Amino acid sequence: MRLCSVLAILTLCYPSVYLQGQSGKITCASCHPAQALSQPDTQMGRALRLPGGNETLNAHPQLSFRKGGYSYSVETRNGQSQYVVSDGAQTVSLPILWSMGAEAQTWVLERNGRMYESLVSYYPSVNGLDITVGDEHLTPKNIDEAIGRPFSDTDSAACFGCHASNAVVDHKLHLSTLKPGLTCEHCHTGAGAHLAAIVHGDTSSIPPRLGKLSSEDISNFCGQCHRSWELVVRAGWRGETNVRFQPYRLANSKCFDGTDPRISCVACHDPHQKVVRDSSYYDARCLACHASLPVAASPSASQAKSCPVAKANCTTCHMPKVPFPGGHFQFTDHQIRIVKPNQPYPN
Amino acid sequence: MAGSYFSDMAGPALHAGKKGTAGFLRTILRVGLALALLLPGPALAVGQDRPETFDQLALSAAAAREQNDIPRAIDLYQRAVQLNPKWPDGWWYLGSLQYAVNAYAPSVEALTHYIELTPRAGPALALRGLCEFEQGQYPESLQDLQHGIALGAANQPRNTQIILYHEALLLTRLGKFEEALGKYTVFVKQGAINQDVTAGVGLSGLRMPIFPKDIDPAQAQLVSLTGRAAISVITGDLAGGHQAFLDIFHRFPAAPNVHYLYGYLLFSTDPDQAIEQFQQELTAYPSSAIAHAMLAWAYGLRGDFAAALPDAQKAAAEAPSLPMAQLVLGRTLVETGDVNSGLPHLEDVLRMEPGNLEAHMTLAKAYSELGRKEDARRERLWCLAVSNPGTAPNAPM
Repeated sequence: MRLCSVLAILTLCYPSVYLQGQSGKITCASCHPAQALSQPDTQMGRALRLPGGNETLNAHPQLSFRKGGYSYSVETRNGQSQYVVSDGAQTVSLPILWSMGAEAQTWVLERNGRMYESLVSYYPSVNGLDITVGDEHLTPKNIDEAIGRPFSDTDSAACFGCHASNAVVDHKLHLSTLKPGLTCEHCHTGAGAHLAAIVHGDTSSIPPRLGKLSSEDISNFCGQCHRSWELVVRAGWRGETNVRFQPYRLANSKCFDGTDPRISCVACHDPHQKVVRDSSYYDARCLACHASLPVAASPSASQAKSCPVAKANCTTCHMPKVPFPGGHFQFTDHQIRIVKPNQPYPN
Repeated sequence: MAGSYFSDMAGPALHAGKKGTAGFLRTILRVGLALALLLPGPALAVGQDRPETFDQLALSAAAAREQNDIPRAIDLYQRAVQLNPKWPDGWWYLGSLQYAVNAYAPSVEALTHYIELTPRAGPALALRGLCEFEQGQYPESLQDLQHGIALGAANQPRNTQIILYHEALLLTRLGKFEEALGKYTVFVKQGAINQDVTAGVGLSGLRMPIFPKDIDPAQAQLVSLTGRAAISVITGDLAGGHQAFLDIFHRFPAAPNVHYLYGYLLFSTDPDQAIEQFQQELTAYPSSAIAHAMLAWAYGLRGDFAAALPDAQKAAAEAPSLPMAQLVLGRTLVETGDVNSGLPHLEDVLRMEPGNLEAHMTLAKAYSELGRKEDARRERLWCLAVSNPGTAPNAPM
């Protein structure tokens, strides 16, 4: 209540120029500049690209690949890209309308009213094309199958639901309202209504505070796209490919505690900022539990054992990088543990 | 019933001898023979009229079995195991031969001795389950069949069919209809569709706890049409399946569970349509606990647990002993923040179905929410141990 009053006063007292931004339009950034200005440049913010805005393809105007009797090329001119598949006798050329992924890219194609996931993708590690992750087992029998994996309605809703904003309404795909990448309202349900209301001084429409969720709940929240523990178990996704499902891996950690904020996704990652690659950045998060002395900020919280080996760069040992099958990626394993030599990948 | 199915399914080898389970038996006998050949040979010669020693009895029993002189083989094996009750192969051959001559009670006894000596013998457990099935001991039969399956008894294609078919029959008979439908789905997706499977699908879909042989003639057409409609949907013929279900709705407007079944089949691919079907079932049968439960589950999968709660509560009130009803109420309460109220419902599920993965998964979440870290971890480890790895090896990006 007190917070709401303060917000209302701040909002009403804000200079209108600041609230409206330089463009004159009131946006989330008007009140939340730190989050709103940095978030679009994160991987989540760049999770989907539309034609014309794809720097990767603009920088690689001619990509080609060949496998199993089929040749693939991705040709980009004037910001428009074509996905071309040929078996020597027949050629299919489709415009790339949606590019999924901030670094590696897989394309969603449309043909005869049906959506397909491209059978080849762009990988920065090879600076070129290779078979799309998860499709290695597919052996096309004809050029139609060589285009890619056809999407069911559920597939396309899931794909756009995580790579774009406002694309899925009432569990149905609505491409007309799609906004590329994850915008504020993707995670902050009701942000749009809040924005509209706050202009009129109405502070009653504040979206739920995600930062207040328990570690268990935030793990499930992020897991809607990054795959929750339940989802992975239910689907039976085992083996090293599940290293990319961080909420699942984290929940498998012996130290995971659904009520301890020190082990939450957001304890280590600010979703509004680019992911930090420097392992030393995370030391303070590890030492919040594993320090040799109790932490002043959480005197009642339980204290885990301290590491006898080192006090720095904890993640390099306890959250090892795992090469993703196929060789194009490696992911930090979020199953925090004491890694022993020759120990198989724990599932 | 089962016989006609498996004689249809397994090819000419099955048409001789005991109808239906003959292929399975022959496989067992072949395996048994192979085992026997690996055993140290008795020192004495074969063919004596009244062999007295264990070795003589064992050798004579094997000879009688190879000559297909089953009554004599049974007699000799019985005498051999009396002399040496720790002889597992003797009990095995005795049990399988007694099964072959429909002597189910003695077969169960012999196989029980064998299983005591060889506890992880999947085929013996499955064979004992088949004997118990013939004796009408359905819960025991299902337990043995499933234990045998877990130990690999159904890994050979021919054994797979007879064992899984009986498992599906039993699941239906014991009211585990959705599980039964899952077993029949394996047959359907393998193209193994015949009259018996169609009837089985129809019965489990309509939630009738009977065997196909016990279908009331007045309901035979409904069961058959329902089975066919469901098979169409399972095989991906959605348009054909839709038309077939419309036909059933028209011809049997008062038949319970048809809308529920159609919704259940559509659930994974078209949740909207599934929800509509569950609602239609409830319009006709407002006290259908399973329809309330599945409707609540569908809302929950959409993340709308507030909408799920009334139906979850109705499901549990209508059928407190229905595990799905307790599960959906427990889960919904946990997801709506009333974790402490949800726990007893989830624990009820495990009392009824100790192996219910969804209940264990929800308990993991509930314990985690309550800060019961060790309990949550125990549940998670249980789930990881029992869940089927590799069911979807190629996870999408």
